[in-house]
Amino acid sequence: MNRPNPFTGSSGKKSTCLEMLHAILDGDASEEQQEYFREHMDECMPCYKSHELDIQIKQLIKSKCCGTHVPLDLVEKIRRQMNSIT
Amino acid sequence: MEETPRAKYTEKEKVEVFNNEFLPHINSMYNFGHRLTLDEDDAKDLVQDTYLKAFRFIESFQKGTNAKAWLFRILKNSFINDYRKKSKEPSKVDYQEVESYYNSDDVHHQITTDLRVESLQDMIGDEISNALNSLDVDFRTVIILCDLEGFKYDEMAKILDIPIGTVRSRLHRARNLLKDKLSVYAEKMGYKNP
Repeated sequence: MNRPNPFTGSSGKKSTCLEMLHAILDGDASEEQQEYFREHMDECMPCYKSHELDIQIKQLIKSKCCGTHVPLDLVEKIRRQMNSIT
Repeated sequence: MEETPRAKYTEKEKVEVFNNEFLPHINSMYNFGHRLTLDEDDAKDLVQDTYLKAFRFIESFQKGTNAKAWLFRILKNSFINDYRKKSKEPSKVDYQEVESYYNSDDVHHQITTDLRVESLQDMIGDEISNALNSLDVDFRTVIILCDLEGFKYDEMAKILDIPIGTVRSRLHRARNLLKDKLSVYAEKMGYKNP
């Protein structure tokens, strides 16, 4: 890959694979960075494997650890206390 | 402290802001509180304190700004001030270690894991949830904010009062620890490491 690495920070320090992976995963990468990373994965097997795994884990956490509902009486309790403030 | 222009709300408007901007986040807030304290009653108290505090300071809230991030910040601070002190549990994260880990050149070690995608698909919710809950609270927090709630790095930095670089490094470390935990489950389920 001959193009300049768009992940390189202003300090000139090159980003590690780990930093690139997380920026991509968390939607913190620009289009240019995403394009660069797609090409990078063709040359870097650890990144290719880790990228797939990271996406799966992120989706899994979201689907298994969200969806809790607040106990109904709590909202009422908060409202009652709010009224005593005003 | 930063000078913020204060909004003048009538009592009716205050209740409207509360109902329309604050209350929609209450399930996320409760989940956050529950995962921080790992206790239902403590979580309820924390959420209640947070909402009452937000209501008391509602005039410092600008309509249209990120209410969710503000509420999460209040809850996190209440947790640190009230609950951590109570439990007298000091933070176990060694930040020096986090930084040096992050700056290490051993990149391949950092991203290589025994965990495989196939083993994840057989995991049930409890295993994932337990793995998350077993992380040290500072690591747990960044995963909750990022992966569960979808906050951006700059929002997380504001919620946690830490620089973005620290958000990144803490998140990297947290994810690797989580993978380690999940690998243990995978092994117990009979997945052999490659």
